[in-house]
Amino acid sequence: MRKNGHQKQVMEIYQFISENLYFNRPDIEIKGERYNSTILFSLLAGLNRGKVLIIGEPGLGKTTSAEYVCSLIYQFPLGVIWSSEVSGHPEQTEEKIVGRPDLGKLNRGIEDVVWTIFSQIPVKIVDEINRLPETKQSMILDGVDRGNWEYLNEMIINDEYCLFATANYQDGGTNTIIAPLVDRFDMMVESRYPGPNLSFLIGRGKRKDHVLRHPKYEKDLLRVFKSKTAYEKKFPKMEEVCNAFGEYVYGLLGVRPLQRQDRDEIRAEMENLELDLDASAFARMLLAEFSFCERYGQKRVVENCEEGCHYTGYLCHDIKNCASNRLPTSIKQYAQGLAWLLEDSEIDIEHVKSVVPYTLAHRIQWKEGILSRKERVKRDDPFPIFLAKEAVKAVSQRYREQDEHLKDALAVGSKIFQGESLEPVEGDHPLYVEIKKDIDTRQT
Amino acid sequence: MKTSIPGKKALTGPPDRGKLLIKNPFEEFGTFSYLKAEIPLDQIVQSSEEVMGRIRRGYEKLLVEEAKELVWMVQYNTIIKAYEVAEKYVKEIDYSAEDIEDFCFALENTRKIPYLIPGPAGVYLSALCNYAKEEKIVLKLSELKTEINLVGFRLPKGKHLLIEGDTGDFTGIGLEGGELAVEGNAKNWTGAGMRGGKILVRKNIGLHTGEWMMGGEIYVGGRVRGLGNIVEGKVFERDKLVYPGKVRYPNLYY
Repeated sequence: MRKNGHQKQVMEIYQFISENLYFNRPDIEIKGERYNSTILFSLLAGLNRGKVLIIGEPGLGKTTSAEYVCSLIYQFPLGVIWSSEVSGHPEQTEEKIVGRPDLGKLNRGIEDVVWTIFSQIPVKIVDEINRLPETKQSMILDGVDRGNWEYLNEMIINDEYCLFATANYQDGGTNTIIAPLVDRFDMMVESRYPGPNLSFLIGRGKRKDHVLRHPKYEKDLLRVFKSKTAYEKKFPKMEEVCNAFGEYVYGLLGVRPLQRQDRDEIRAEMENLELDLDASAFARMLLAEFSFCERYGQKRVVENCEEGCHYTGYLCHDIKNCASNRLPTSIKQYAQGLAWLLEDSEIDIEHVKSVVPYTLAHRIQWKEGILSRKERVKRDDPFPIFLAKEAVKAVSQRYREQDEHLKDALAVGSKIFQGESLEPVEGDHPLYVEIKKDIDTRQT
Repeated sequence: MKTSIPGKKALTGPPDRGKLLIKNPFEEFGTFSYLKAEIPLDQIVQSSEEVMGRIRRGYEKLLVEEAKELVWMVQYNTIIKAYEVAEKYVKEIDYSAEDIEDFCFALENTRKIPYLIPGPAGVYLSALCNYAKEEKIVLKLSELKTEINLVGFRLPKGKHLLIEGDTGDFTGIGLEGGELAVEGNAKNWTGAGMRGGKILVRKNIGLHTGEWMMGGEIYVGGRVRGLGNIVEGKVFERDKLVYPGKVRYPNLYY
């Protein structure tokens, strides 16, 4: 992999945030190094045009961590980010989130849209998304998924964007995040309590966020967003101001934020990284366990698992719903980002195992029996992430026991697909059945 | 009025199915080659399977040559001829005593050996025992549903053959100095034509025991149903010498 030095730059941003802005303990170990999952995966989301759901108790830095990451990855002063944020509350409307009619033009009989800063800005933060009523959550589905924002038959498409949503734990004022919206998030991470000592330091210290503010650049950017120029034509001016802010931050703090060109180069490098065979086979094995049903063809949330099924020992027996196609996309994207950041030449199974629990936690509906059995187990993570990590451990063990045999089955599948007359390899795991199904599809 | 759209091709038929390419979802594994780690057990099992295959093929060839249409009559010359054929095939195989026992069980497994004809099977088994490297051979036949005839045919001097279970007819016929022990019952014509050696039957024995026996000894732990025309040798029933002794008429009641 060609090294362009951006890994060092991104790691410097990570170090700066964790040492100066967002105090927290490292809670994840990857290849012998310890990281804080909130900052790490938020950075990868920012680089990868991803979407992260940050959960946690009130006041533990969910929103501020996202703001710092967005400011340094996209070179936006904090003031602009604050003014763009959408807060989740029951009175939220489409006009406050997406856009409103240009009332002046409307009086003259012309329909035109005044887009909100939220819909225009590449960095999007929705604060306390689960306070939005479920009907209002549906409003932002398309925008969250594809960056398309529609209002009054007009549309803008965000070419580059990342999205962070925060959510408190369930209380009287919160709603459930609807399943289609939850599935659109790549990852779920917890912004944890940093411990009493770090918390005390936070309380004792001065406010630090002013270092990422600049009133003049904030005013310039807000003027750009509010201008009546066509959305696509705002970018050059926006980039110019952002770059100037970036230079200011570098001069003041010694950490260089990323420019658009840097982000494009990083993405191009990331996209060149491929999964090695182990990572690919492991991911397939995982996906098989989260979607397979011997009796009904696939997992469906409306169908119950029968007792006495041969595959009782696999995860398909413990879950209600089927893994979506967004899951492997998220896994690849974040494993790719991680491999790039660690300067590895390909994506290996360790990268995949590190990211999978966070891509899986919010997407899986576990059966009641599993929930009640594991709820009281001693753990460090919030329950959904803990269950996801346990699941990954179980699949990982099974993979270790039969990795060569599984890869052989996939290799034979490839040969059969190309027309060779071979018998599919037999095995007990659902993936062997799925390989046969794919081969049968080819043969018919 | 219809107007033709310039440049539009008319549809000539359904698309060529051969050109509809389906993406190979396993493509990246195409170059993976699995080097299965060989463990000693794998080698032992493979070697054992090879030997069993050769033993089986020998038996099948015997049937082809001697059991026309799968019918085989027990007669002096057919036994001799079958044994000569069996000898010929058995001499070419390198096997052990365990392989002989495995063969006995394979005889009952119709998926492995379709035809169990007790006569040729016994002759082949006897050839295997006689040409085995080991002096002492134990065959656990108690689980077999079929009793095998002609076990111990021409057992030579120096060989000890122990059968756990029952045997069929013609057990130990033509014994040539070896020692044959049957831990169960033996049927008719036991020890017929034996020249020397010892036959021990723990339980009961059938009719024509020792018919044309030329030498050697037969010990029966249970009852002797009937003696044959013995030329020379001894027969004991429950440690009691019954031949040479008073003439015994066959017991037809049990």
